[in-house]
Amino acid sequence: MLERLRKPWPDHRAERTLGAVSLLVGVGVIAMVAFVATEAWPIFQHNGLSWLGGGGSLEHEIANMTAAGAHAPAAVYHLRAWPVIYGTLLTCAIAVALALLVAVLTSVFIVELAPVRLRNVVIPVVRLLASVPSVVYGLIGILVLAPFVEQHLITAHDKDSVQNVVQLTGEGLGVTVVILTIMITPIMIALICEALSSAPPSWREGAVALGLNPLRAVRAVTLRAIRPAIVAATVLATARALGEAIMIEMVSGGKSFAPNLSHGVPTFFYEPLRTLASAIVDYHDGIAAPPLRAAVYAFALLLLFSAFVFSVAGYLVKLPLRKYQVRA
Amino acid sequence: MNQHRRLRRLSIAAAMGVLGVATAPAAASATALVTISGATSSYPLVSLLAAKYVKLHPHKIRFKIAQGGTGVGIADVKAGSVTIADVASEFTSADAGLDFYPIAKYAICVVTNQANTLSNLTPKQVTSIFTGKTKQWSEVPGATATGPIEVFSRTSVAGVLTSFKSLLLEGKSVESSATEESSEGLMKQAVESHPSSIGFLSNYNANKGGLNSVEFNGVACNQTTAASGQYAGVAVFFEVTKGTASGAAAAFIDWIDKSPAAKKIIASQWVVIG
Amino acid sequence: MNAFAPDLQAAPPPSSKRGRRSSPWGWRWGDRLVLVCAWAMGIGLCVIAGAIVLYMAYRGVQYLRPSLLFSRPQVSLSQAGSGGFLDPLLGTMLLTLIGVVFALPLALASAVWIAEYGQGGRVRQTLARVVESSIEVVAGTPDIVIALFGLSLFRLGLFAPLSFRAEGGGVYGQSFIVAGAMMSLLALPPVFTATRDGLQAVPAHMREAAFALGKTRIATIRRVLLPSVRSNMATGITLGISRIIGDTAIVLFLAGDTPRIEPQGGAPIVNLLRGTGSTLTTYIFQNSPAGEGGAPQKAYAAAFVLLVLVLGLNLLVDRISRRQARSMGLTAAGGIV
Repeated sequence: MLERLRKPWPDHRAERTLGAVSLLVGVGVIAMVAFVATEAWPIFQHNGLSWLGGGGSLEHEIANMTAAGAHAPAAVYHLRAWPVIYGTLLTCAIAVALALLVAVLTSVFIVELAPVRLRNVVIPVVRLLASVPSVVYGLIGILVLAPFVEQHLITAHDKDSVQNVVQLTGEGLGVTVVILTIMITPIMIALICEALSSAPPSWREGAVALGLNPLRAVRAVTLRAIRPAIVAATVLATARALGEAIMIEMVSGGKSFAPNLSHGVPTFFYEPLRTLASAIVDYHDGIAAPPLRAAVYAFALLLLFSAFVFSVAGYLVKLPLRKYQVRA
Repeated sequence: MNQHRRLRRLSIAAAMGVLGVATAPAAASATALVTISGATSSYPLVSLLAAKYVKLHPHKIRFKIAQGGTGVGIADVKAGSVTIADVASEFTSADAGLDFYPIAKYAICVVTNQANTLSNLTPKQVTSIFTGKTKQWSEVPGATATGPIEVFSRTSVAGVLTSFKSLLLEGKSVESSATEESSEGLMKQAVESHPSSIGFLSNYNANKGGLNSVEFNGVACNQTTAASGQYAGVAVFFEVTKGTASGAAAAFIDWIDKSPAAKKIIASQWVVIG
Repeated sequence: MNAFAPDLQAAPPPSSKRGRRSSPWGWRWGDRLVLVCAWAMGIGLCVIAGAIVLYMAYRGVQYLRPSLLFSRPQVSLSQAGSGGFLDPLLGTMLLTLIGVVFALPLALASAVWIAEYGQGGRVRQTLARVVESSIEVVAGTPDIVIALFGLSLFRLGLFAPLSFRAEGGGVYGQSFIVAGAMMSLLALPPVFTATRDGLQAVPAHMREAAFALGKTRIATIRRVLLPSVRSNMATGITLGISRIIGDTAIVLFLAGDTPRIEPQGGAPIVNLLRGTGSTLTTYIFQNSPAGEGGAPQKAYAAAFVLLVLVLGLNLLVDRISRRQARSMGLTAAGGIV
């Protein structure tokens, strides 16, 4: 039998083996999604879709779930996870908006404005920022940025104004958003730069010939032309920001609290929060309790679903780019 | 001739494979493996006891001790994922079917930052501070800290929190705006790094240094006052199993209960039971 | 020259000097603002990256002693006695090895099948799309979800040989091989994409020449195509390795989180695979104020080592892709990737 394995294989056997292995990968992934959905089912069974809404204290609900055993009454499965969902939406929206602005400006700088020597410095810098592990970003956040915010930016007045509701300790929305922006900007820069440099130069030259200055030509013509690439970059960066768990767990303050804009602007950015991903990290060691396991898997299902939607959206948006032969 | 060589190679490979797979469980079953999870407050004590037990019974038993908090330990032992749970609070109706074995007593101390040399708090003051009625350090006589009081508490899985609420807080709950830390180590770090903070810790961590331990009703919080019964906030560490303890777990718990070596370890920082 | 463009003859010949560029002083305010902002962002990003690297280097030099790299972690009350991070360093390498060993065959097989066999026939094309989409799903899945999936999956009784059973019957479900299996899902998409793109970029005449010489498809793949995409594979593998090295969540959930590597059972190599341990990333996490240790000096030292590793891998990817671009006659003009 070993002889048969060692001789060169006939095509049909090779094809069937390779196909089987590939299908194994496909089936495995589908099984993973099905497993997560199955484990999350009890939460949907007891709450319907209202578990995405608000009301009540998430920390109390989690406390009840941890203490329960295998045959818990239905009341234990009560879950209202809005503070965590709001935290996720808030951090992602602000970080992606900031990152978009920074990425577009930096890409224009790299492709149009920078002299060649400066370009050869900035490109490796962007790659460096993209490759720093998230735990190192979290370390810098928790050891440098959060103490700085607490000692130099938060005033006693700020702390007093929200003392009834929450405590300000430096770790919160502001630090989270700043570091998340730095983490997702390189992804967007990579995509937008590629699109900018493969956009047809004749369009921009035409605009310059008509009297626009070079920068305005880029703004008016090229940026509009690569709009699909910008959308694709935004979508992919959002998918990345949604899944960030460890860095956010370290710098967000770990309180299932919905930061409140009505508390005033600097205070809003000092308030702690929790996101879906950081909630999974915080609560994962209690998953021996069935209700808590269902809740944590429900968070994971929501993350999986959103990341999947964004990846598909990114792929669909990138399709028309091929029309312009823009590699993205 | 080729057939024979092939057969021989195959059979040697099969034999080695079977041997390898067989030795693994055979070697593993020589040492019993006891997994423990639960309270962060009793982790130092249980680690010391386990280390001593392994030294006395070499190659017969191994321990894997995780933390996570009392609530996580109870959930784990109910589900059968661990052998023993470390628990720092009392039996409740939700724990039916579990056996609680007390191993030591500990004291819960109210602690403030080292710079805040507050020496004593009455029960009413403690309740009022932790429930959020007293908000400023200026309202607390004897405190050298200024500004708003930052209250640090523990997450709901903490046994120390449950005991603290029932023993020192008159059964009330800590205010919901307090920052919740998920372990004793993190609570200690938080109080050490925030000058206007207040929190609570088991006596081992509170008296390790770097914090100001506050007297409760005129009684200092340490091992001596806990042993004599003077200090009000004394709770019990339990080892919890699903049903009656059996096998290596039972032997370990029995050893903690009866052996003088175990008593010596407990008496170093905590209070022996009985 | 002809009647249609009489002006062309009269026009002056194109000047060889650079044309007059419009100077920013003549622009509108809005454009000047954008110019300043773009320069500020570009320089600012460099400054931020420089600050991060310099700060980590400063802290690393301050706290990293060579003894830390070679001594094992110890349980101790003080910083001085708590040992180094040899075990986490070894854990990182072991986990990377396991992850790549699992990911490489799967990714290669899928890429080869899709690129070479997945073209003909309705059924085969649909299946190929299914496999491609599922690998895209894995690529987009957050690592925390993969870690959570592994946490419950490997506690099933079926997988008990991969970790160990405690007294009382519960499968522990955490070990190096469990973590490595889930890590391979992280490395799978980069290797797959790089290999598939490389195979698709191989010109058709190479395949046709091999077929003309009478080789079967699988022999062509083995002897002609795979060797020619070696540098693509290398880029993909290095990208996968840097993803594995930088990941914390999967290790935190699935590798047992013990400071030292604790083998499990008797058999020589299998006990290491079934054992628990930690990696540099979880060591940093646990020693930071977010974990249990409260030992920021050790965290900084380990973070510096991790950063050096990751940057080294980055340079390697850069060199490989530049060599590949040169060999294919292209130049990387302005592109980042």
